[in-house]
Parts: sequence; C-alpha cells; structure tokens
Amino acid sequence: MSVNESIYTVEDLVIDLYAPTVSVRAVDGASFHVNAGETVAIVGESGSGKTVMTLGPLGLLPEGVAVDMRGSVHIEGDRNLLSMDSTALSELRGRHFGVIFQDPMSALNPMLKIGPQLATQARRFAGLSRDAAERDAVSLLARLGIPDPELRYHCYPHEMSGGMLQRSMIALALSARPKILIADEPTTALDATVQAQILDLIRHIQRDSGIAVILITHDIGSVSSVAHRVVVLYAGQVAEEGSVMDVLTQPMHPYTCGLLASVPDFRSESTGAATEIPGMPPTQITIEPGCRFAERCNQAEPSCSVHRPQLRAVPGADPSHRVACPVVLRRMGVAHA
Amino acid sequence: MPDTPAIEVRDLKVHFQNRRGKGLLRAVDGVNLSISRGSFHGIVGESGCGKTTLARCMVGLQKATEGKVLIGGRDCNDWLRTDRKAFAREVHFIFQDPLGSMSRRQSVYQTLEEPLLIHGLGNAAERRQRILELLELVALPQTVLDRLPRSLSGGQRQRACIARALALKTSILVCDEPLSALDVSVRAQIVNLFASLQRQLGLTIVMISHDLAIVREVCSEVTVMYLGSVVEEGATRPLFRDPKHPYSQALLSAVPSTDPRIEATRRRILLEGDPPSPSALPVGCRFASRCPLVMERCHAENPALQPVAHGGNTACHLANSNVSI
Amino acid sequence: MKLSTPLKSLPWLAIGLSFGFVLVGVLAPWIITHDFAAQDYNALLQGPSWSHFFGTDYLGRDIFSRIIMGARVSLVAMSVVLLAALAIGVALGSLAGYIGGWVDLVLISVIDIVLALPSLVIALALIGILGTGYWSMITALTLAWWANYARMSRAVVTAELQQPYIEAARVMGASHFWIFTRHLLPHVLSLVVVYASADAGALVLSIATLSFLGLGVAPPTPEWGQMLVDGMSYIEEYPSLVVIPGLSLTLVVVSFNLLGEAFALHKVPRAVRGADLRRRRAKRALEEAACAELERQTTS
Repeated sequence: MSVNESIYTVEDLVIDLYAPTVSVRAVDGASFHVNAGETVAIVGESGSGKTVMTLGPLGLLPEGVAVDMRGSVHIEGDRNLLSMDSTALSELRGRHFGVIFQDPMSALNPMLKIGPQLATQARRFAGLSRDAAERDAVSLLARLGIPDPELRYHCYPHEMSGGMLQRSMIALALSARPKILIADEPTTALDATVQAQILDLIRHIQRDSGIAVILITHDIGSVSSVAHRVVVLYAGQVAEEGSVMDVLTQPMHPYTCGLLASVPDFRSESTGAATEIPGMPPTQITIEPGCRFAERCNQAEPSCSVHRPQLRAVPGADPSHRVACPVVLRRMGVAHA
Repeated sequence: MPDTPAIEVRDLKVHFQNRRGKGLLRAVDGVNLSISRGSFHGIVGESGCGKTTLARCMVGLQKATEGKVLIGGRDCNDWLRTDRKAFAREVHFIFQDPLGSMSRRQSVYQTLEEPLLIHGLGNAAERRQRILELLELVALPQTVLDRLPRSLSGGQRQRACIARALALKTSILVCDEPLSALDVSVRAQIVNLFASLQRQLGLTIVMISHDLAIVREVCSEVTVMYLGSVVEEGATRPLFRDPKHPYSQALLSAVPSTDPRIEATRRRILLEGDPPSPSALPVGCRFASRCPLVMERCHAENPALQPVAHGGNTACHLANSNVSI
Repeated sequence: MKLSTPLKSLPWLAIGLSFGFVLVGVLAPWIITHDFAAQDYNALLQGPSWSHFFGTDYLGRDIFSRIIMGARVSLVAMSVVLLAALAIGVALGSLAGYIGGWVDLVLISVIDIVLALPSLVIALALIGILGTGYWSMITALTLAWWANYARMSRAVVTAELQQPYIEAARVMGASHFWIFTRHLLPHVLSLVVVYASADAGALVLSIATLSFLGLGVAPPTPEWGQMLVDGMSYIEEYPSLVVIPGLSLTLVVVSFNLLGEAFALHKVPRAVRGADLRRRRAKRALEEAACAELERQTTS
C-alpha cells in the first residue's frame, strides 16, 4: 500500500509537554500513516509516547497539561490539524474519528439512555433524520452483538453489564460514521475471554464497514490478532514499522527484537525463560541527539548516540518494512543509513 | 515432613453478605487445593472467580466462612491466633500494586528493615548486612536504599517488595497479580527473578495471574477457577496442551499468539454472554449458562473433580468423554 | 531533615512574626521593665516616654510590661489548649478510624454534634458550668476545640487504611500498635500539626474574647482582651489603652493565619498552584519555537 492511499498522515510530529516542574518531549519526530480500511497498531510501553502521539493532534490530551505540537497531521489531505482552533478541531474530530478508551463508563453519559446518545451523534455528523438515526442506532447495537437492541436502546448505562458497556462504547464511537476508529488500550484491563470478544468485534467492524483502525497497545498478542500494520515506538521515536507479518516474524530493530523476545509466545513449544532487555525505558525524556535506545542496546555503536537514526526500507523485503537503525541497515548492505 | 504440602486448602468457602441483604456473594465456594513444597503454582481465572480472595485466605488477610487453610500442616487461623509472628515468618504476600504496598514516607532501607525490626532480628549492623544481602538477591543496586518508592521504576518497586518478603527467610510466597502493574518488557525481568529465587532458595510460590503465557512459562502446576470453584487443575504444560474443561478450553483459546502466522489460522472459541452474578449462582454447573457442550445433566448436578487424561482433575460431566468444543 | 520547599519560598514574614510572638512570651519576665501589677498613682494615663514605652493606664501600670506579660499569658493558655486538644482529638479520631464499627459510629456522632456548634458558644456553655477563671477557660476551650482535630485524624487514618501497605505490614506480623505508631500516626500528625499552627491565631483571639467578656483571665493578670475591655471607657481621650492591645492581637492573629495559609498552599496540589506559571511558560515556549522555526526557514 502506498502512501497515496493514506487517509491519515502524520509527519515529523514533535510534541512537548509542560508540567510545573518538568518538561518532557513525549514525541520526537515521529511519522506514520494509516491507509483506508486497514488496522494500524501503535506499539510501545509506558513512556513511549504512543497515546500522546495519537490523541495529541486530536486535542484529546488530559486537561491541565500545557502542550506544544509541531509537524503536520492531515486527514484525507485536509488542513493541518495542528493549525486548527479548538472549535474546528472538535468538529473534525466528531466527523471523522471515533475513539474507544479503556474505561467504558467514562465514555457514556450516565444520565442519558444509551440509544439517544448514539442517535445524537448520527444526527449531528451523519446528517440523519431523527427516525433514521434511531433505526441506525438500533441496528448498530445489533451489529455489535448486543441482544434485544430495541430494548437496550432505552437502557441507562448502569443497567448494563460490563461486556455490554464495552460494546455500547464502541457503538457510540461508530455512530457518527467515522473514517477512523482509535482504540486506546481497549483490552488492557479486561479478562482474556472478554479481550478475545472485543478483538473479534474490532476485526468484524473493520471488515464490514471498511473503517480504518488505529490500535494503541502494548500487547503483542492483540497486534498479531487484529492489525495489518504495526508501528513500534520507543521513547517518542519510531523504531520500526511495516506489516504485522514482517515486523513480528522478522523483527529488525534491536528494541523490537528485545520486546518480542521478552513476551513468551503462548503457542510455541519453546521452553525456558523469557529474555529481558536490561535497564528501563527513559522516564523523563530530555531533548538529546541520537537514538534513544542506544543506552540499552547490545548492538549500539558510538555514532548511535550522535546521529538521529532515520527510517529506511529493509533491503530484500517489502518496501513498507522500515527500520530506524543504522547498525542493522548497514549490516544488510544499506549505505548511508 | 517433606510430604506435608506447603499449603493445603480444605473445602474453603468465603461468603460475603450483600450489604442490602440481597443474597450471599459466594466468592470462594468449596475449594480444595494442595500445593507441594518447592513448587511454582499458578492460579488463573477471570475477574470474579475468587482467586484473589483465595490467595488472601492463604495468608490470613481474609477469614474463611467455612473450611480451613493449612500451612505446613498447621491450621492458619489457629496459628494466627496464637503466634502471629511465627506465621509471618512462614508465609508472605506480594501485592498487585508495588507502589501502594510500600509506605510512601519510608525509604527503601526503612521498608526493608521493617520486618527485621518487627521480629527483633539482630542489631543495627546485622540488619544492615541482611538488607544488603536482600538487595543482591533481587538484583537492586545499593543506591536505591535512600530513595523513596515514588522515585523508583515499577520494576524496581516490585523487586523491593520481593526483597522485603524474603527478609524473614520465608519459604512460601503468595503473589497476587505481581506483574500486571508492570511494563511488558519489565515483566520478563520480574518473572525470571521469581523463577531464579525459587531455584536458589527452594521457595514455594503461588502466583495468581491472568497472563496465561507467563503462567505457562514458569508455573509447574496450575489451577483454573471459575466463579468461586476449581474447574480444572494439573501440571501446566499437559493441561494447556489438552484442557478438558470447556471453560479452560475457551480461556486458553482466548489468548492470542504473538506470531501472526499462528494467529491467522488458529481456531478460536468465543464464549457468548456474560457469567452469572456470584450472588445468584445457579444450581448445577456454574458454567452451564455459557457452555457450548451443555446437557440436561449440567443444569441439575454440579460436577465433581475427576481425574483426566493430562494427569490432573477436571470438574465436568464430559471430562473423560472425547467430546470437546 | 530535608526541607521539601526551597528556602526562599518559605513564608518568612509569617514565620518571623509567629516566632517573635512565641519568643516574647517565653522571655517575658526578662523583657518587662516594670512589675505589670504595680500601680503608680503619680503616673496615671501617661503617653509614651522613656520610662514607660507605651505609656501607663488608668491605674498607673506600665502598658508595655502588661502587653509583654499578656503575650506570655496568651501563649501559655494557647499552648496548653492546643496540646490538650491535639492529644484528645488525635487519640480519639485515630482510634475511631482504626477500630471502625460501632466505636467509630459513636465517635463520629459526637464529633458532628460538637462541630455543629460554634466553638465559642460551646466554651461559653462550659464556662457557665465550670465557673470563670484561668483554668476553667482553658478546659472549656480544649473541650470545644478537639473535635476538628479528631475529624481530621479519623479522615487520614481511614484513607491510609485503604492502602495495601497497611495490609503488607499485617502480613509481616506487625501488631496493631506497630502499625498505628509507625505508619498511621506520622501521617496524622504531619497534617494536624500544620493545621494547628494556623489555628493558634484563632485560639488567641478566642482567649481574648472570653477575657473581654469577663469570663477568662481575672485582673490583675494582664491579658490583651482584658486590657481592651478595661480601656474602653477611656477610648476617646486615651485611645492607646485600646489601640495597643488591639494591634498586638491583630498582629499575632494575622501572622498565624499567614503561616497557616502558606502551609495550606504547600499541601494543595501543585497543578492548581502552578497554573499561572505554566501558562506563562507554555506561551514562552511557543514563542521560542516560532522563532526557531523562523530562523530555520530563513537560514536553510
């Protein structure tokens, strides 16, 4: 898939956060894109900047933190999101994006019934009439596997079980017919069987409606289960990106290799302890040159801490598989990595 | 002596009265368990299955409504009543939240010193010596001694908690989801630490976890719980390879593989609906409402644990038949 | 002990004034120039002079000495009441929070009742029962003041008990006494003592009020409230009899209030406190970034 089909493009995004005592560069020149109808997983641990990178340009970062963003973020070639004022951004957000968070209770208004919350979105952004919006909401609830959707339409959030709330939140996110669904750690706090249900749901939604999905997660299992492409983030920089098949079966970047080695695969027959990556991810990111992973990397060279690694295609593989590690690339014969 | 199981749970029941008198919440409903010395035992299940309540009963943080817990052959309740401190030297608990389980006003040194002070072990110099030994055991540098918990990373905090748990040379560790608050790459470090400590010190470790992949890596035995009772138990690898209880099968099927090739082609079992509420448990098998293999008998009769092919036990009427999902 | 705030941001004025008050009270017997009760009919109602710094009152007593001794009287009374109220309040409140159950229920009801009434009204009622005088005033104020500390202690204990580290200590074999003294009390005291330091001003004012009403200290013991009421009849011709004790009271109460406010701000979440600072810094950062961008575009 070429960048031309991309409906959401992020280029050279830099995001700085300011708190009273510390300032942090949460995202340090990251770029990625999402094509129509595909699921992109953004993988990283805490402090990698994955949430900030995805939700920041949409203006969805928590209150009380001063933010400074630079770079360009476009949806369908429209204006740069970073240059929009909050009203225009809010409009764009409602029209094109649906977001699901970890906690369904925080997405739904406990004072209103479920159905009307969905219908309001449909009327406002999809331009449906009152009756059409109601029918649409009911059919959406049905598609998401909620039994008796006509009855559930009139239920309050506290009358529903946990699993149904999750699905209602997803329904809410989809009610305005967005082009992109953003799922922020949707499975982290859930039990295994519920996780499987939600992941399955996301897969189905995507196949049925052709919506693009951005999945923010640290769970490699979810990635391999639903995503087509994956972007691996470390300390605000993109370490590696490519199709899930390429990156997970033939990881190139030392961090990706380390991450995958540290997560035991449930179904492989290998025994023995999981390998660890020594040290810890940086907590306070100061603005430094060079590769952030260098201090923990067992293949680091002196030049790694000096020059910012650039994403380059891996030779002999799909051009979409790119890695930001000059050491690895040089070993594979790429000059001027 | 070596035959006495480290922990034995006999017909344990923990029932909570719902505040508005709307019935009994059966958190743990008739659990029998035997954990042998030196084993690394995993307890898995989903929220509401009672695994945390069970773990807390084992260390005396929760009183049982019925049944008993025997530590090294001695009744836990009796022991707590008569000699609390001796009990504390036998068993210790690792909490899910490493930050919350240390006092935020105490430095790491003070936190590690506390169990030694409570039990009056040694003078100041001996305590310091012991603390340095503990730091080495958990691979923490001496520089953490003067720091407060909030300035440590998640992995370091959990190591400090483990060091504290080992201060009294306890032989039994019960851990409640010790890894879920940690970053993915740090989990490997801590789980390796558990495994190496177990080998080094001959510890008996009981680990509650919902991360089945990790359980498979380190636990020699596993118990699967559902809604307050044990549905399957046995040696980990054989059980995971060939689970006999439909719930175990669904649970194991729910874990995605990290290899997309396997993930794309494997068969998945998806459970419908939600589990019944623990305060309104049905008669008969608790899993009947969601079980794809449910029969008439399941609604009437609660199956007992019976031995199965993988060497452990399963509580299912179809356990030894060849029917599976 | 490491200070958690940088030295320059401490409220030096408030600390200085409050500390000054305490110092004066402690050193009073050595500072006064005359016997505070000595009456000198040859020197009635005089203005300030070298022998009488603040002048004399209607009985020829040196006002300066009376003010200084008054500080000591207030200081002693305030300290006794504070210590007693803290002791009772912290003990009862923490125990209630720790034990829970019906003990807690009974205590919280008592606390609510006491807190529902203004402390001065309670003190007045108690003085009515106990009679007037220095010690009955102190007792009355103590019984009126403990409830707030009890409530705070109980709140702190209840909150801390939710944390897993308390359970961790129990598993380690710690006795209730150990948990109480090593873990809970420090938290309680650090909060309550700070609050009490601000309360000190209000307490001094209450003591003065009771004396003003004639229910506290008896003459000739000097006390600022007492001096206020004595000097009221002379307010037109010799206002200094009223103004000087009044000003002293104001100064002390304000300084303790400032102290309390400064501590309260310190405990308030930093996000609220630093909002303004953050906004300014963010604006500056954006401006810098814009300049840098401009530079980059022009020089590349």
